[in-house]
Order: sequence, then structure tokens, then C-alpha cells
Amino acid sequence: MTLTLPTTRQEAWRWSDLSGLEALAATPASGAARDVDARWIGEGPRLLFVDGKFDEGRSRPGPVIVGATGAISVHPLARLAAGPGWTLTMPRDGAAGLIEIVHVATGGASHVPARIVLAEDAQASIVESHVGDGWANRLTSIELGRSARLMRAIRIVQTSGFVSLRDEARLEAGASLVSTVLAAGHGGSRVDAAISLDGRGAFAEHGGALLARDEQRHDAAIVVRHAREQGTSRQLWRAVADDQATASMAARVEVARGAQKTDGEQSLRGLMLKRSATINLKPELEIFADDVKCAHGATVGELDAQALFYMGARGIRPDRARALLTQAFIADALSRIGEDAVREAFQAESETWLEARA
Amino acid sequence: MLNIQNLHAEIDGKAILKGLTLAINPGEIHAIMGPNGAGKSTLGYVLAGRPGYEVTEGSVTFDGQDLLALAPHERAALGLFLGFQYPVEIPGVSNVQFLREALNAQRKIRGEEPLSGGDFLKRAKAQADALDLSMDMLKRSVNVGFSGGEKKRNEMVQMGIIDPRLAILDETDSGLDIDALRTVGRGINSIMRKPDKAVLLITHYQRLLDYVKPDFVHVLAGGRIVRTGGSELALELEREGYGAIAA
Repeated sequence: MTLTLPTTRQEAWRWSDLSGLEALAATPASGAARDVDARWIGEGPRLLFVDGKFDEGRSRPGPVIVGATGAISVHPLARLAAGPGWTLTMPRDGAAGLIEIVHVATGGASHVPARIVLAEDAQASIVESHVGDGWANRLTSIELGRSARLMRAIRIVQTSGFVSLRDEARLEAGASLVSTVLAAGHGGSRVDAAISLDGRGAFAEHGGALLARDEQRHDAAIVVRHAREQGTSRQLWRAVADDQATASMAARVEVARGAQKTDGEQSLRGLMLKRSATINLKPELEIFADDVKCAHGATVGELDAQALFYMGARGIRPDRARALLTQAFIADALSRIGEDAVREAFQAESETWLEARA
Repeated sequence: MLNIQNLHAEIDGKAILKGLTLAINPGEIHAIMGPNGAGKSTLGYVLAGRPGYEVTEGSVTFDGQDLLALAPHERAALGLFLGFQYPVEIPGVSNVQFLREALNAQRKIRGEEPLSGGDFLKRAKAQADALDLSMDMLKRSVNVGFSGGEKKRNEMVQMGIIDPRLAILDETDSGLDIDALRTVGRGINSIMRKPDKAVLLITHYQRLLDYVKPDFVHVLAGGRIVRTGGSELALELEREGYGAIAA
């Protein structure tokens, strides 16, 4: 298959380097899924995908159905995810406990679509983990009915390779979507989302922490559209870049004509652990209503030298002091994960990343 | 215990300490007083190893070890504690976590077992109680949202938990009201007034010395000690001003 990929000449992809994807897609997949057991957090439904293929023997899908999803996208990467995938449909008032999905890439490329449909007042919580070495490309189509609630937590902890995620979500009145992404592996990533608050008073939160070192590149591009009045959105992103790494965040809030009383907030903060690293932040607002509150902040800084000395003067080693301060820097972003066990697992993941610093 | 010989130090090429000599023995409390800009805080920072402060001449030994060759955390592990004039806020790191990390890091360097969570909390509570700081405050981020006085009391709580052998207290009395001053003074005495420990109080004013009686008072001016006396020297300074004495 010949890939037609976006290039850095396109504004939405200017910080992404997709040039290695074709070669990555051509690497052979070993199919040997290691590193899986340690990834399960709870005892509920779980699904394992190895190179995009459902591993029935090591899964218990619960309410999730595996097969054709009907999810389609025109997004340049997500449109590749057109084969079989998984679907979670919750009926009115239905509630699903934590559902876990682990994606293992052993090489090559895998393209998997997913569809999450929650009817009125239904709720679900899903945690996904990306491990391994290939290119994992995913499309997640989300439809939330009136007052439905979906919580998602995604960790990208591949040893190498690339993970590209695309969420396309539509929220009816009073629905709530909270998504938290942690990139704390050693591969690259692109996190893309288009969230539309179609109903009055909907709530969407999309944020996370991107940790990059060596030559890693992480790139998040999020668009939240307020189509109706009284919607609330939060985009809280923290990026940490060390060595020659690049972390980029473009977050956009669109407020449609008539979407009065919109409450939008963007907080994009970058932390450079070395001056050779790069952090790009692009907060964008496009507002066509006059009675709205849209706060946005974007800052890039370094670790506080005074705090490092203070910690040293109390006996804390410099590397540990840096890790503690960095952990504190990203804590806000991870604190949004509602399930304690998931939040703790993600915090531990970020600590492991920080401690691995030589 | 601490032996400072002919210490010269500069910041950004500007000489601040110009030949300071001072010896502190176990069981002694020394006070260094002096006008603004005399180099009092610089002395504290140089002893604790703050980056940016360059020693150009002289030596400092602590128990015979070359203190200046060590990183700040190694100096702390030897038993040196700097009480900051302006304690630093660290959002997102709780006092409890910070102090447990600090204490156990020091214990590790000294080859001691780490303190368990329970034992640590017991120790923290005892110190917080002694300094009228609630455990709730210790669970909050380090110094974030603390008043000036609370930050200074927190420094003393930290000192109590870490239990150093030599405390250099940089204007610990500034920003304290009379009651807090008494509490802090009591804290310094109970934590540090022991035969194997020593204190170097850096202060502008005499009033802390009402509560913590120094054995020696030194006047620092122009980067060196220009006069040394007993506790009566502090009263004389208060009466006559630095101008007359440092001249």
C-alpha cells in the first residue's frame, strides 16, 4: 500500500514528522506480544489487540463487540482505520465499569477503528494502553447522548515506533467527555481530536501530559467546537521536553454563533529540561458569540533553579529533585483521571519515565 | 566543627566576602549581625553551596572535610542545614513528601535505613506541634499559600525533622510577630541547643537573641568580621547602631 501522508507544509501538521511512517509500516511484525500482563489495571472487561488483531484467547470483552464498526473519517491518518475494530454501545441508563484495552504493536502498521455510543444517561470508563514497537493508528468515533458520561484515559508507552490517535466526538445536551492522554514511552506520537459540543450545556475536557526525550516527537492537535449555548470545555496540556526532543500542542476552541454562555479554558504549559529541546504551543480561539468566557494561557519555562537549590539544601539529590519538580509540573494533567487505580498507574508510568533519565 | 579561613566569595564578578574567618565548635551558638549588604546572606549561601556564588580564596572545613568541594545535598547529609530567609514555594510537591524524601536521602548517604511512612509522620507531627503548625499545612504544597511567618515556622519544622548538627539560620526572625518569634526561639533552643550541635544565627536585629542566647556575636561589615564579642555586643549594637561599631 502506498501511503499518502500529510506533510509539514500543511498548517495542521507543521510540527509532525511523519516521514518515517512508511518505512515503519514496512517493518515485519513478529506477532509476539510481550509486556502485556503488567498492563492490566483492574479485573473487569479487557481486550487485547496484537498488531491490530483481536486476541480472543487473552481477552474477555464484556459489553464490547469486535468486528465492523461503521466508524469512518476523512482525517488523513484515521481514514486508514477502515477494517474491523471494536464497538461499545451502552443503552439508556446503562453503566459499564472500567474497560481496559491494550494495543500491542510488534512491528509494521495497524489501523483499527473504534466506536463508542452511549445513550441517554449511560456511562462508561475506558483505559487504553499502547505498547510495543510498530505504528499503531487508531480512529475513535464517540457519540454521547443526553447527559451521558464517558471517561477515557490513554497511555502511549511504546518502546519505539509511532502511535497516531484520532478522536471524533459529538456530545448531546448535558453530556460529559473527559479524556486524558499520557505519552511516556520512547516512540513518537500524534494525538488528534475533534470534539463537538452539539447539545446545550455539554462538557468536554481533553488534556494530558506529553513527555519527550532523545529525538522523540509528540504532537497534539485538539479542536473543541462549541455549537450550542452553555457548553464548558477544558484543555489542560503539559509538555516536557529533554535532549533534542520536540513536544507540540495546538489547541483550538471554536464558539459558533449563538453558543452563548460558553465557558472555555485552555492551559498549555511546556517545560524544557534542556535548552536543546523544542516546545511548540499554539492556543487558538475563534469566537462568533458575544457572551462567552474563554480563558487561555500558554507558557514555556525551565525548572525553577531556586527550588532545585532548596531541595538540594535539604539533602535531595539533583536528579531526584528534577524528577519531583517535573512530576509536580504534570500532576494537574493526570489528576483529571477519575478512577484512582488508573490515575495511580499513569502516575507510576510517568515516574518510571522520569526516573529513567540518566 | 566549622572552620572558615580567609573566605573570599563573589557573585557575577562582584566581591562580597573579603577575607572572612570564623570557627564554630560543638555546643556553641554564634550570631552574625551587620548592616544590609555586608554579606550575611552570601555567607549562608556559600556555606550551603548555592550555584552562582564563587569562592575565589580561602577554605571551609566541616569536621575536617572540605565543605566547598561538596554538592548542596552532600553538605546536607553531613549535617548542615540552611534556614532560608525566603523559603521557596514548590507547587505540586507536598511538605510531607518533600521532607520524607529529604530525610531519607540524607539517611541513605549516611548508610542508615530509610524511615517508614508511619515513623516519619510521627516525627513530623511532633515537630509541627512544637511550632504551632498544623499537619494539614504539612500536607499542602511546600510553602505555597503560607504567610511569611508560617514559612519561617515551616523552616523550623523542617529543621526539627531533619535534625542537623549545624544550623545556619538566615534572618529566621524577619517577618515574625512577637508570639511567633517566641515560638521559633523555643524551637531553635529545643532542636539545636545540645552539646554536639551548633548554630550560626544571621540576623539584623537583636530581638531573636532575647530568646536564643548566643555565646558569640560577630559584626560583619564590608565582607569580613570586624568585631567579635559576647551577647552584650548585640545590645551595644542595638543601642549605638552599626555605623559606630563597624567603623
